[in-house]
Amino acid sequence: MPRDPVIHSNQPSAADSPFDVADEVDEAALAAVMRYVPLGAGVLAGAAVALLVLGYLLIYVLVFIPRGTVG
Amino acid sequence: MSERQPEMHERRILGTELLWSFGVGVLIAATLSIVVFTALTMGINPPSNVERVDPKVLHLSGEFAEHNLGTSVAADGSVTARIIATQFMFVPRCIAVPQKRPVTLRFAAPDVIHGILITGTNVNTMVVPGFVAQVHAQFTRSGDLLMPCHEYCGLGHSEMWATVQVLPESAFQPDRDGRVSCAQR
Repeated sequence: MPRDPVIHSNQPSAADSPFDVADEVDEAALAAVMRYVPLGAGVLAGAAVALLVLGYLLIYVLVFIPRGTVG
Repeated sequence: MSERQPEMHERRILGTELLWSFGVGVLIAATLSIVVFTALTMGINPPSNVERVDPKVLHLSGEFAEHNLGTSVAADGSVTARIIATQFMFVPRCIAVPQKRPVTLRFAAPDVIHGILITGTNVNTMVVPGFVAQVHAQFTRSGDLLMPCHEYCGLGHSEMWATVQVLPESAFQPDRDGRVSCAQR
């Protein structure tokens, strides 16, 4: 059975200090950030999809179409 | 305020997701429109011929008997090439086709599943025993094109290839029977 780790008093854990454990959430700052979060995600995803579609169109127009009709 | 904030965030995120869904819908519709447009105006379609043939008697009589293989020009000027794909060769090994004219390629297999593509063109189809694979194509540039088997068909698969010789109109001369063979070079 695993034993609990022994923490000696002369070996303090970082978790003892609340400043090192979690940031305090400032509601106003969170609201300010959340105003931009969807926009940033949209720009990132939009840029990725735009590059993908651009690649598709370039291959379609410059490679596929010049290879001639088939059916 | 702190109770209303999460609702506002969720509404904003939902709005963004709906906008994204709309954008993706437009992209999919545009992509499909391109495919449909080129199919209707330029005749670019996936080959979709469903035509049965008995693979056991392929070589004995009918369209794929040996004397019928290769390129032939019908009385109405239409060009058809008939090819058998078999382990591990194409019969014939060289197919002559005219440049800038519609050509019908018809393939049949007596043994196992094969596949063909012609390099530098969109010609690409499976050749399944029991069915005639048919592709309509128009070759824009003259010259020799490689036509390998692209479906693993056995130990000799890598040796299975043929040549498609695209001839300028002046060099594409059918004989009395309307047949055209590859030019000797």
